[in-house]
Amino acid sequence: MPLELGEGTATLIGVVTVDEVEELAGWLRATTRPKVNLRRCNHLHTGAFQALLLFRPKVSAAPTDSFLAERVLPLLARQGSEPP
Amino acid sequence: MTTVMLVDDSATMLMSLKSILTKAGYAVETAGHGKEALDKLGKGVKPNLIISDVNMPQMDGITFVREARKSPGLRFTPMLMLTTESEQAKRTEAKSAGATGWLVKPVAPEQLLGVIKQVLPGA
Amino acid sequence: MNPLLAQFLAEAADLLTQVDEGLLQLERTPGDPELVNEVFRAAHTFKGSSGLFDFPELTKLTHAAEDLLDAVRAGELPLDSGMTDDLLATFDLIRGWLAYVTTEERLPSTAGADAASLIVRLRAPIGGEVVREAPTLSGPQAGDVAPAWLAYFDEEWLAETAAWLRTTSSQMRFIRYAPDSGCFFRAEDPLHLIRQVPALDRLNVIEPVEWPEAADYDEYACLVAFVCATRAGMGEIQYLFRYVVDQFELVDLDGDAIQRYLSGEIEIEVEPESGTAEKQDQKPSSSTDPALLADARAVLAASLKALALNPTNTCHLISLAKAITYAAHAFGDPVEIQEPDVVTLTATVTRLLGDTAEAVEDPVRTVVPLVAADEAPAAERRADDPGGQVGSRILKVDQEKVDHLMELVGELNVAKNGLTFLAGAAEEEFGSRALARRIKDQYSGLHRIAEELQASVMDIRMLPLSVAFSRFPRLVRDLSRRLGKNIELVLEGEDTMADKDVIEALADPLVHLVRNSLDHGIETSDERLASGKPTTARITLTAVADGDAVIVEIADDGRGVDPARVRRKAYEKGLISEEELETLSDVDAVDLVFRPGFSTAEQISDLSGRGVGMDAVRASVEKLGGTVTMRSELGIGTSTRLRLPLSMAVTQVMVVSVAGQRFGIPVDLVVETVRVPVDEMNRVLHQDVVVLRGEVIPVLDLARALDMPWIPDDNRDRAILIANVGGQRVGLLVEQFHREVDVILKPMEGLLAYADEFSGTALLGDGLVLLVLNMKEVLGLAARVG
Repeated sequence: MPLELGEGTATLIGVVTVDEVEELAGWLRATTRPKVNLRRCNHLHTGAFQALLLFRPKVSAAPTDSFLAERVLPLLARQGSEPP
Repeated sequence: MTTVMLVDDSATMLMSLKSILTKAGYAVETAGHGKEALDKLGKGVKPNLIISDVNMPQMDGITFVREARKSPGLRFTPMLMLTTESEQAKRTEAKSAGATGWLVKPVAPEQLLGVIKQVLPGA
Repeated sequence: MNPLLAQFLAEAADLLTQVDEGLLQLERTPGDPELVNEVFRAAHTFKGSSGLFDFPELTKLTHAAEDLLDAVRAGELPLDSGMTDDLLATFDLIRGWLAYVTTEERLPSTAGADAASLIVRLRAPIGGEVVREAPTLSGPQAGDVAPAWLAYFDEEWLAETAAWLRTTSSQMRFIRYAPDSGCFFRAEDPLHLIRQVPALDRLNVIEPVEWPEAADYDEYACLVAFVCATRAGMGEIQYLFRYVVDQFELVDLDGDAIQRYLSGEIEIEVEPESGTAEKQDQKPSSSTDPALLADARAVLAASLKALALNPTNTCHLISLAKAITYAAHAFGDPVEIQEPDVVTLTATVTRLLGDTAEAVEDPVRTVVPLVAADEAPAAERRADDPGGQVGSRILKVDQEKVDHLMELVGELNVAKNGLTFLAGAAEEEFGSRALARRIKDQYSGLHRIAEELQASVMDIRMLPLSVAFSRFPRLVRDLSRRLGKNIELVLEGEDTMADKDVIEALADPLVHLVRNSLDHGIETSDERLASGKPTTARITLTAVADGDAVIVEIADDGRGVDPARVRRKAYEKGLISEEELETLSDVDAVDLVFRPGFSTAEQISDLSGRGVGMDAVRASVEKLGGTVTMRSELGIGTSTRLRLPLSMAVTQVMVVSVAGQRFGIPVDLVVETVRVPVDEMNRVLHQDVVVLRGEVIPVLDLARALDMPWIPDDNRDRAILIANVGGQRVGLLVEQFHREVDVILKPMEGLLAYADEFSGTALLGDGLVLLVLNMKEVLGLAARVG
């Protein structure tokens, strides 16, 4: 399974597709101070990325996938959107 | 195993696409027109990707895509239309019916496999 | 002949017939939209498939016919008899070509010349040769103006980049990708697309101005947009984003443009789209494209020829006028033609041709490549030789028809068996031994023919195993690369033939077994080195025919199955008792992996994934009437052997009955039939058992399992059929044994389709329908009934 949802930490594994978005968003909504482990995540569907962006969970382990690590993680880590 | 459903009324086209896909390790389901494809989908065939021709008897490709998108199990399934060079207008129509993209006939193996890679994350 | 070409020729023959019939009917009932559509579709399919082969003339010609029919279909012009003649001539020519292709596998060398004049005629009513439209992508020019959304990039980085681009006189591509909110429902994944952009330099996300409340958040609505900067070429980017052109903007910026943006020198273009729209709106002016001009001249010349025939049909004149107007437009000399007549049209065309006379001798000739007569060898068959047939070697047959044929063969077998009864009756009832012998002679003749017939029908359904094997080289290559294991795949006996249904049904179990080997069987290279094996592992897929069965074996030289571990695990899962844990032989222990509930999370890696265990493999093979066995030696390797009937069409069943109702049991499962005196029956723990040669065998009451009204007569011996189900011996208590018969098993239909206790139905010689038992399910039922 691409999603392992624990009490406070969600582990995202492999390719997280649109099919996992609903479950992930539901978990983020219901969890106080959620944490996500992205180490073994190879791809995040835009819907999953967007949910992470909105709920801003703490990223407990950075992804090893280079695109996610270099391009996507910084977008999740920064504070708020820069004004145009 | 990744399953691709091919919908085309031309047996030749089905044969050529099927051989490309099977060689590349995909499982293939085929249907001769939109109605037959909907039937198969209704009976539990669950493709990871659908490739459909536009002009077909019984039910054309665009109607098929529109109908298939209504099914909850297929709302996120990538669907590609097989079009000819001149069918620009059909592509726009197909997109608004819910198609993900299109292929241009005759379909070369690298074009087909490249596009599948492009639209299927993790393929 | 290459099978794809053979298939095309077979299909082409059908399409040609459809087109001919459609066109002729259209002449009788002009304008029938359904008919027009049908003819169009046939031409369209034809063109599509022809592109798969190297027959450019065929593609061009069918393209022209398709375009004409498309215009008719769209109601742009009515189909007149002249057009019908041209279309019929077109498809006659194609028929001739294909007959030639059938024998020579190429088009006749005159094809180009034959097609050219027809193409001109077909295209004349719709305005001549199509002008290739420029790609619809709004191709931004190099040195675009910087858009406002550059603000989403880091300013410092922009300044550095501007300086670098200026120093190096180069440019960079900037993309703004704003997916629409419903894009997920077209299976679009913007982030996945962006991941594919080569040489990505910067990526930023544009969040919505205001996020919805968590409770109102719709996770399937795409609310974010992206900007990125890349060094990839314009072509690469336009290709990648071709499906989402309406959702993205692309600019090619040089250092100056960015610098001007940074210093706020230029007013920002609010709507970059309006710029492109204006460009498209530009008045078309005289074209300087030589190809277009040549096309226009060709159209005019063709029109002139058409006019020379002095047509009177108004529709035809209108379409000609249209063609002439288009051509005039291309010359930049627009003409207006009201109420066209032959004289004015001829005058207009002559004027236009005169005006543009530079270097035009006969414009048509420039399009028609002339073929020197001696280029065509005299021995070649003429292309339009009516003697040739298209695709005569291949017959395209519906599988249903073959199935029906098979059913008839089955019924023939049954009817034939009736003769043996007749022979018996002739001798016993009418006392004529001579007649009986003659009937028997007839019978054996008929028997031989029926058998041959059956064999040839089955042969039609046979396919080589290579069909099932073909996907594995790629599968093994990809998976081994992902797992970082070196694996050599060896395929043997691919020519072995088996029934189409068997081959198709084999696909999933095989994939599962091969994946299993790759995933669990084969060790990593390091482990292999450590245990003194060659680093490259080997998986062998072998197929051999064995009588009326085919055996497929998947063998690997991996680590093998550890019987002790399997025993322990099965015990932990409650699949075996403590006693079995001690006593189960190694061979039996390996077999435990097929038990339902044995494969667990530990086995389900992302490869063999999706929770299909070995029990599912065994179940699907058994459903086909086959068996699966596994042999494994710890440290040496594992081999799994599937034994399947060569054909699923004919099954041998043993007929038994209870409560007057007859049932079939596949003979493969039957070990023996015994009659046991009532007082030798035993009961152990509420279970009837019988002891045969020292072995205790549980006995199930078929009548009770199927809920049928029958109670065994205490004065008669019990008829018990011993069957081997999933490696276990069980007895089935029945009322009576009958004979063994060959039947054609048909899947359950209608009301019984959901009755899992039956695997199918078959017709018996006396016309009765026999239900064939699915023994596994029957045992389950019996266990539930208790």
